[in-house]
Amino acid sequence: MELLIQTVVNGLIQSGFYALAAIGLVLVFGVMRVVNFAHGELVMIGAYTIWFVHAQNGVPYLITVVLAILLVTAIGLLMERFLFRPMTGDPLGGLICSIGMLFILQVIATYVGGEGPSKQVPPPFEGTLIILDSVRIPYQRVFSIAVAICALGILWYFLTRTKFGWAVRAVSMDREAAALQGISTIRVSMIAIGVGAAMAGLAGALMAPLTNINPHMGHNVIIAAFIVTIVGGVGSLPGAVIASVLYALFHTFVTTYFSGTIATISGLVIMVLVLIVRPTGIMGHRVSE
Amino acid sequence: MSKIETNASRRKFLKQVAAGATTATAASIIPSRAFSANKQLTVGMNIPMTGDLAPWGLPGYYGCEIIARNINAAGGVTIGGETYDINIATYDHGYETDKAVQGMKKLVLEDDAKMVMMLGGATVAAVLPWATRRKVLTTTLLPSDITPDSNYLVATCESHPLYNVTGVEWLARNYPDAKTAVIVTNNDVEYGLQSTATYQAAFEVAGIEVVDTNLHGFDVTDFAPIVSSVLDKDPDIFCMATSFYVTPIMEQLYHQGFDGKIISCTLDFYHEIIAKTSVDFVNGTIFQFPDFDDPALADVNFPDPGGFDAAFRADHPNDWSAVAWEYPVILLNWIENAQAAGSVESEAVTAQMTGSEQNFVFGGGSWWGSQLWGLDNVLVGKWPVVVVEDGRARIQEYGDLAAWLDANNDVLIKHMKALGLRTV
Repeated sequence: MELLIQTVVNGLIQSGFYALAAIGLVLVFGVMRVVNFAHGELVMIGAYTIWFVHAQNGVPYLITVVLAILLVTAIGLLMERFLFRPMTGDPLGGLICSIGMLFILQVIATYVGGEGPSKQVPPPFEGTLIILDSVRIPYQRVFSIAVAICALGILWYFLTRTKFGWAVRAVSMDREAAALQGISTIRVSMIAIGVGAAMAGLAGALMAPLTNINPHMGHNVIIAAFIVTIVGGVGSLPGAVIASVLYALFHTFVTTYFSGTIATISGLVIMVLVLIVRPTGIMGHRVSE
Repeated sequence: MSKIETNASRRKFLKQVAAGATTATAASIIPSRAFSANKQLTVGMNIPMTGDLAPWGLPGYYGCEIIARNINAAGGVTIGGETYDINIATYDHGYETDKAVQGMKKLVLEDDAKMVMMLGGATVAAVLPWATRRKVLTTTLLPSDITPDSNYLVATCESHPLYNVTGVEWLARNYPDAKTAVIVTNNDVEYGLQSTATYQAAFEVAGIEVVDTNLHGFDVTDFAPIVSSVLDKDPDIFCMATSFYVTPIMEQLYHQGFDGKIISCTLDFYHEIIAKTSVDFVNGTIFQFPDFDDPALADVNFPDPGGFDAAFRADHPNDWSAVAWEYPVILLNWIENAQAAGSVESEAVTAQMTGSEQNFVFGGGSWWGSQLWGLDNVLVGKWPVVVVEDGRARIQEYGDLAAWLDANNDVLIKHMKALGLRTV
């Protein structure tokens, strides 16, 4: 029973990271129809910012989290302006540009952090929360999941209660129709990639004290984000959040009771099955050509 | 060549190197090679200097640079009547097999490297056909690379992961109440599975039951579920065989309240682990790789270990890892054998090496390996058992690896076969 509860807790915490990482991918694809392969590297840059600014130079963690979000947002906006905007209407071109950006960001991280061991960040929130005498959650993880929930809540409010949010959703549903209604698709694209990058930066900043930081860490992030995005329904934000929770719980349970390798393979098999049986995913919808 | 002559020669050589260390600081300011009349003797390092495995390549290069600097500052090394300055040529293969082959050819054909040091694994397997054909003396840290035909491939320092048995022996002797163990490691053939088989054999010989073995991939971003899973078996001992993820696993053990014994092959960058957990938690962790400022290293076959440690940390304060001293040990052993052979050519040095008694860095030293891999090209000897005490790695004893292998290699072979690993 203790293991069961601990596993549920582990899964829910992991779902926060998956959701933050996947949201950006969904936003960019939904609005710009570009598969951003460099999205995992945006998460990596967020983590590196924490390592370099906070762990190496002593700037307080919370301030560095904000810096990480701003930095990654700026990188996202630059990608939109100089990579994706010139490639509008050319998804393959955008994809290839994002792969190029992936390598550029890895090299920058290597240049900043040097080669050698993975970087480590001591947890800013020490100690462990103990529930029911046996379920243990490090305070760093408690903080991370709380921030992730808040960030997703703010995003939900932004998308459903503000004009900018409505515009993003409109462009996501039908770019041409939105443009005919006077919505600036360029501005919406900037907002989408800015928000998505900000979420990626936040995910990296929250993950930094909990994982090995290295230039290649984005690889694992992007695989999980793709699975979540496809299972949730490509372009569907609620779908991405629901799929994040489901996938994190599934992956954590299989890892705990079977093995991590089986969990990863199963996740990929589920993704393939979803693509075959229900290509729209849990919450996605068909878009007519 | 008699053993007495070898020992005398070795001591003289090590003293020269140690003396060179005292002037090396000044020498490092001036590019000594620019003023040296000595010939250049190039030794190659075909290693990962970038990528995930860079921590097991780059620090070794830094260590060899220090040794070469010391030797050159002391006037070079005399082999076969010729005095040479040591030049370390490197090729960064990033642990990619095609690059490793390219690197081997570049080092041998363009740089005229007389010996090439490598990390091991797939990259060694890739270069082996060419290197064997050309009779290039190549070294590995993974003796499982050795095949019945790899006559020019030797493992003269690290006999990964065989030495882990000494840690288990020490643990069993000092903590007799610890009777159950779990093993967690990555599921690759070269590091994880080889280590798993070795630890399983060592635990069996020590009378410790392995209640769970969790092999995971390299895509794990969160170790909480893995650690929760194995701790549910309530083990007395948590073993990280050769894990690439020691720090996050240790962090999870700390947060999930594990209070048993921890044993690991490596504990690289353990100060970072302490920073993420606590000194009290990390204290008592058993592993196999000493810091070189350890007073217990006073009598090993390595010139001025403390000075080497200080020089390394001054040059590269955050880069010390298990390999920092291993490649230098290989380099020194090769020079010693080249001096004894009176030649720098591979055939002569290899024949000298494998045909004579060797002094292993921590004492002892005998050629082994035919029982497992078909060729006695692995130099095994004493190996240190290291425990964290007051936040510092300290040697507890030198275990006798050769004796364990002679007595228990059938147990080891059984576990290797069970995991599908290659044996003869």
